[in-house]
Amino acid sequence: MTSAILRRPRGEAGNATGERKQGPRRLLTRVAVFAVIAAVPPLLFDDYWVFMSAQVLAFAIATLGLDVLYGRTGQMSLAHASFMGVGAYTTYLVSSLGYGLAVQLAAVAVVSLIAALVVAVPTLRLSGLRLALVTLAFGELLAWVVRNTTDLTGGTQGASVDPLIIGQLDSSEPLHAYLIALVPAAIATALAAHLGRTQLGRRMLAVRDTELAAESVGVAVSRTKITAFLISAVYAGVAGWLYAAITGFISPPDFDLFASVYLFVAVVIGGAGTVVGAWLGAAYVVLVPELFTLAGQPNLYPIVGGALLAIVALLVPDGIVGLGRGAWRRARRVRDAQEGAT
Amino acid sequence: MSASVETGAPPVVRIDGLTVRYGAFHALRDVTVSLPAGRISGLIGPNGAGKTTLLNAISGFTPIAEGRVHVGDRDITALGVRRRALAGVVRGFQTVRLLERESVWDNVLIGTERFAQPSALSQFFALPAQWRAHRRATAAAAEVLDLLGLRRHAHRRVDELPFASRRLVEVARVLVSSPSVILLDEPAAGLDQEGRQELAAVLTRVHDNHPSTMVVVEHDVDLVKTLCSYVIALDSGAFLCDGTPAKVFGDRQVQLAYFGRAAGVDA
Amino acid sequence: MGDLGQILVGGVTTGSLYALFLLGVLIVFQVSKSINFAYGQVGMIAAFSAWFLYSEQGLPVPVALVVGVLLAVAVNSAIDYVAIRRIPAGRPGLDLVVTLGIFLLITAVMQQLIDANAHTFVPLGADTRTEVAGVVVSVNDGVVVGLTAVVIAAAYLLLNRTSLGTSLRASAEDAGIAQAAGVNVRALRTATWAVAGALGAIVAVLVASRLSVDAFYMTPFLIKAFVAGMIGGLDRFWLPLSVAVALGVYESLAVFWLGASAGTPAVFLLIIVVLALVPKRFVNERNEVRA
Repeated sequence: MTSAILRRPRGEAGNATGERKQGPRRLLTRVAVFAVIAAVPPLLFDDYWVFMSAQVLAFAIATLGLDVLYGRTGQMSLAHASFMGVGAYTTYLVSSLGYGLAVQLAAVAVVSLIAALVVAVPTLRLSGLRLALVTLAFGELLAWVVRNTTDLTGGTQGASVDPLIIGQLDSSEPLHAYLIALVPAAIATALAAHLGRTQLGRRMLAVRDTELAAESVGVAVSRTKITAFLISAVYAGVAGWLYAAITGFISPPDFDLFASVYLFVAVVIGGAGTVVGAWLGAAYVVLVPELFTLAGQPNLYPIVGGALLAIVALLVPDGIVGLGRGAWRRARRVRDAQEGAT
Repeated sequence: MSASVETGAPPVVRIDGLTVRYGAFHALRDVTVSLPAGRISGLIGPNGAGKTTLLNAISGFTPIAEGRVHVGDRDITALGVRRRALAGVVRGFQTVRLLERESVWDNVLIGTERFAQPSALSQFFALPAQWRAHRRATAAAAEVLDLLGLRRHAHRRVDELPFASRRLVEVARVLVSSPSVILLDEPAAGLDQEGRQELAAVLTRVHDNHPSTMVVVEHDVDLVKTLCSYVIALDSGAFLCDGTPAKVFGDRQVQLAYFGRAAGVDA
Repeated sequence: MGDLGQILVGGVTTGSLYALFLLGVLIVFQVSKSINFAYGQVGMIAAFSAWFLYSEQGLPVPVALVVGVLLAVAVNSAIDYVAIRRIPAGRPGLDLVVTLGIFLLITAVMQQLIDANAHTFVPLGADTRTEVAGVVVSVNDGVVVGLTAVVIAAAYLLLNRTSLGTSLRASAEDAGIAQAAGVNVRALRTATWAVAGALGAIVAVLVASRLSVDAFYMTPFLIKAFVAGMIGGLDRFWLPLSVAVALGVYESLAVFWLGASAGTPAVFLLIIVVLALVPKRFVNERNEVRA
């Protein structure tokens, strides 16, 4: 019965099996590519760029989290950097009490979850617009807390965070910091990639694209939004934990509204809704300001960032990843046409 | 999540004294009708008759001013859209509503929400419960894609598909969880003659494989005659008549309301 | 009266500024269904460039102010003309993202063109005070409250008693039908953005005259106005505006009773509590069109 309804669209070889082959080979290829790219900084870069690469790893966790919320669920948070701040300051407080890795991570997760619940539960049972506005206020609140607790958090002057020591590794060494960050970044990436194959991940996509259809098949829309927000907040908290350990110093401007907007720029430019896009975004948000500084034009970064956000959001909805896919598809179409297959 | 996938015979859907108002306008006025269990019913009537409103009222998408809706013995009037869906009442939309940037596969899988779902944590961390749920969902999706002949497009993005295929994906999302009550709003709209016949064949086959109480809003008399063993006619928000296709299409009132207008002959 | 009276006057004045600013947000939201995150920065352009023109370039203050306001009008109209109009249907929420980019762009450009420091602005009567019934009131306070009352009343009359208002409401209700009825919906939309730009500019100038001016000072103000709009509902008129005034008073009282730094957490607490308690149907807007 396929003939008439399903006139075969141009230039696509049909896939006869039901589910896309997600077999061990494909997975192995991905892991291998990840490993090769991950091996580049320690082998080829000097200490300074290894340090920057370690930051890319930390920010990748943050952008992956924001991507779960914005790219997949279509909800906008203007406090993602603030949630990184929640993680970073929790780390600072817990580590200054002398606790190590396990307690730090547990505390970061718990505090991020509580903060996210307070923000998300009242707002997300309403509309996404409200979430954006309330997160805006949440960012202000965090800045206020830090400003007004100078004894505890160092206030506007910032605070030095004790390096994280895991066995022989010391996060104040760039190479060690890079290796430490690699593990959570890989786990966060694997979980985010896997999310796309779960019903939880599909619920998020449905909430983003059509809440009516989502509801019509039984999806709990508000619960899905809140779950996405919680995941994104924990990702941000863990990213803040790593950021504090890697850089050894945190201060309010690292986590203010502008920092949140830069994260947003990163996700949109990289390609909202894709894991690769989130990684590209993380590289952008760490390396591009550095390049502008090296070029002697640090003030250009926010200008370029703002312009890019507006332009990319309007004209290139799928970001760099979308551009790449489009080019690939066109190339294949040309090839197919040359081979006489339509 | 306690999604119950109901077993046993499909239920009768009873609508008693249903009134739906939008402001002062009565979209439906005191409609009492039953959708016979386990059959494909056609819902017909001229534009503005209240067909879509009736589907909305059964699926929970529109607030009811008066009246009750029963599925089997269960009164679902007070339930929201989601609870009704989990209870087995699932509808498709007249305007195709898909996850535009996603694959056919994901668009169909979202419809498996009614299956028992592992907790969010199990899903996120890929615990064994997630694997089992995944296998079950993918098996159901593969089956419905085969039935609808969509299998070879499973990994195409739906926004790249021709309109007719997109319509089928919308239907597939409804069918994948084998709901006991299926409400389809003009599933054949925009299809050509051949496509309509094929859709009718597919729906008949689905209905044979998984018996359900199915309602199809449709304008095409021939299609209704092919597909449906029961017909309900509405006009201007009121119940007109119901029965076998032969009886309903032979009814004078129906001919006046429906064909009179359709043929441009005013009574 | 005494202290509490003083606090109330301060609160009402701040609240009036929130309300006037929110009016610009409301008309844009109701006609274009869009939120402009860059709105505060559009106002900032007016005040900051006016400061630059009179203080650094030696222009007379009134001329500088007029030029500033005109700049803001031009920028806000341009945001609609260049960006918002081009948002494809079916991608709700993109207005937030795009104007967020513009927010960043404006902030960075103004910082680059002028500087990143705070400067005192012409007081515009904020330093001319009299005592009324034991409460110190400045000319600026009077101007703020009076202007807010007049502008809001005028906006109400315009929307509800004139044919222009009917066209506006028709465009807000259903752009397609309004278009068919001969309303130039696009031009009307851009016009509301222009008016909103002027409103935002006036508020920003007044705020600057009471505090100081730099590239960032309007952001906390924007947040408060949005909070009021969110609590009152962006698709209504009197309720959000009243909430804006009440928010100013609430904030002043929090500061009065709990100390100078209590404003921010008090406002945050208020939103969370209100949004948690208010029934869903009362505060929902911008739903997907029903089947």
